[in-house]
Amino acid sequence: MVQLLCRSKFQRGMGHEEKEKKPRFFINDNTDILMEILKRLDGRSLGVAACVCRLWRSVTWNDSLWEHLCFRHVSPPPPGVRPVVVALGGYRRLYMMCLRPVLSRLGQMKRGLGGSGGGDSDLVGRVWTRDSVQLSLSLFCVDYYERLDGRLGDASTSSLMFLCKPVNV
Amino acid sequence: MGPYDSAISTGSTTSSPSSAAKPSEIDGLLAGAGYKVRSTELHQVAQRLERLETVMVNAPSEISQLASDVLHCNPSDIASWVDSMLFEFNPPVSIPSDLSDFSDLTYIDSVVSPAINQTVCNNSWVEHHTPQQQQQELTHQLTVVTAMEEDSGIRLVHMMMTCAESVQRGDLPMAGSLIEEMQALLTRVNTGCGIGKVARYFIDALNRRVFTPQAPCATGWSNENEILYHHFYEACPYLKFAHFTANQAILEAFDGHDCVHVVDFNLMHGLQWPALIQALALRPGGPPLLRLTGIGPPSPDGRDSLREIGLRLAELARSVNVRFAFRGVAASRLEDVKPWMLQVSPKEAVAINSIMQLHRLLGSGPTRVSAIETVLGWIRSLNPKIVTVVEQEANHNQSEFLDRFTEALYYYSTMFDSLEACSLQPEKAVAEIYIQKEICNVLCCEGSARVERHEPLAKWRNRLGAAGFRPLNLGSNAFKQASMLLTLFSAEGYCVEEHDGCLTLGWHSRPLIAASAWQPLLDTVINHNNLL
Repeated sequence: MVQLLCRSKFQRGMGHEEKEKKPRFFINDNTDILMEILKRLDGRSLGVAACVCRLWRSVTWNDSLWEHLCFRHVSPPPPGVRPVVVALGGYRRLYMMCLRPVLSRLGQMKRGLGGSGGGDSDLVGRVWTRDSVQLSLSLFCVDYYERLDGRLGDASTSSLMFLCKPVNV
Repeated sequence: MGPYDSAISTGSTTSSPSSAAKPSEIDGLLAGAGYKVRSTELHQVAQRLERLETVMVNAPSEISQLASDVLHCNPSDIASWVDSMLFEFNPPVSIPSDLSDFSDLTYIDSVVSPAINQTVCNNSWVEHHTPQQQQQELTHQLTVVTAMEEDSGIRLVHMMMTCAESVQRGDLPMAGSLIEEMQALLTRVNTGCGIGKVARYFIDALNRRVFTPQAPCATGWSNENEILYHHFYEACPYLKFAHFTANQAILEAFDGHDCVHVVDFNLMHGLQWPALIQALALRPGGPPLLRLTGIGPPSPDGRDSLREIGLRLAELARSVNVRFAFRGVAASRLEDVKPWMLQVSPKEAVAINSIMQLHRLLGSGPTRVSAIETVLGWIRSLNPKIVTVVEQEANHNQSEFLDRFTEALYYYSTMFDSLEACSLQPEKAVAEIYIQKEICNVLCCEGSARVERHEPLAKWRNRLGAAGFRPLNLGSNAFKQASMLLTLFSAEGYCVEEHDGCLTLGWHSRPLIAASAWQPLLDTVINHNNLL
């Protein structure tokens, strides 16, 4: 989908010599449709989308997209979560720092029990239980607390660092 | 084993000296095989046999013929034969003619220990080698077979046990000599991992105990200790498990209350509380008014570190819209805290949180009132909704040194083993220092200086039950959360188990830390509705 949109923008830039009778649809003029499309993407695709151009980056960096991503499969999202998450650093950071590694690590454990391999796309299909989201929120909160004052150890010490290391047993 | 197989094959299988036997008796096992060795000298003979084996295996060919050509004058006196063989390998040493009398001999300078000046003095004779002689022996030792390194680990363990047993008997010269041998042996073992690393720390602890018993080794609270604690928190999941499990229990206990008060027996950096604040912020029905009282040591440099932590927690609570109040209580020992300092109001629901603090109260002098009973008494008087207790699952409070040593060796080897999986540096290295301080306190200190008096969960159950508390089940939510937390750590050896409502976290089925929750039994019949 993303590639399709990229190509349409590319073609628009290249198509000067062609005489177009009807106005060509240009996605950059319709950011609300872009938002709707991006809402349905997974995390990795969102990251790719953010690399297309400045406009796309600003649209993709919109935190509500990431909120949608975080709670897409957890229904309904717990009330009152948004102000908490926003205060602690935002949904994008929550996803990148906590949810994604938590879920991929949990997914790896499940895969180890005999599932099929796969990349990031597997995460979309995986059931994000409320428990894993709660745990991610707690870890996120600890991380925020540690960042509040750099004097808590050095800046590189983060309680979330253990999440970033690959499984190496 | 070599040409001397038939001569000493029976003798060399005796590796466990029966030191508990009556001192003047000939050892029964060896007597049955035809050898006369006194029970008290069994470990010395075994040591020397090992040394003899080493030397003979590594000896150049012309000397090894001695083993086959040797004349064994008195077959039953194996001890003197071994000594004579050892001296054969080192001819220039002057030896007394009478070798069969060992009553005043406690240690013979070894031909095998390279380049260590034996300074162990006792009331019997000791041989000192000149540096040239030691150089000679060293060249012999350079042909050490690497297969020995595998045995070295096992040998180290045996030697450590023997040393600990000597310490318990009060035989400090023997212990000292063993320590020096072990330090020599350590150079041939990989001390970066496995048994070598554990041995290094334990030999260091034994060294401190034998040679510098007056040096302070208490793991008191201090700034430096906070940093060590923080790195230990990052490197392995034990503290995270403790915090998350306790928080889950406290959260469930606070259900339905609007004014809650948590008392933390050891605030440190307050790493436990952000998660609780966040969970309270998100609980259905909105957050309560949260008061946190943190107990900690007074800061040495005049900074009010408790207040700083409180401010940081307050800022976090403010960002997530939780009404929060903090109070710090500075006390160098937990038993110095009095309940009025906590300013508990009768309307609020109280939770007491003790992460690895209660065991510090178990040291008791003859004139002191038992500190643990005092503290448990005032905890009970506060009528908390829940008391969360997390303790190391080990039996390090035994009065006999050897038992403590053995138990500590197994416990901390398991813990070091689990730490191997951590790949975060420098967290891992600093976490090892944290563990090392604990080891030193368990092994080197006595009396009131020894604060790391870990006891297993069963003993805590009895103790808390006797003090008027009833256990609360930690529940399936806590279990699920703990299991999920563990899957996030890269090592797959961690296991969470549930025992009668308490959770333990362990490494490969050896539990290392146990979390439990308690509630005081009420003397009166009045019960509140929202008790868990």
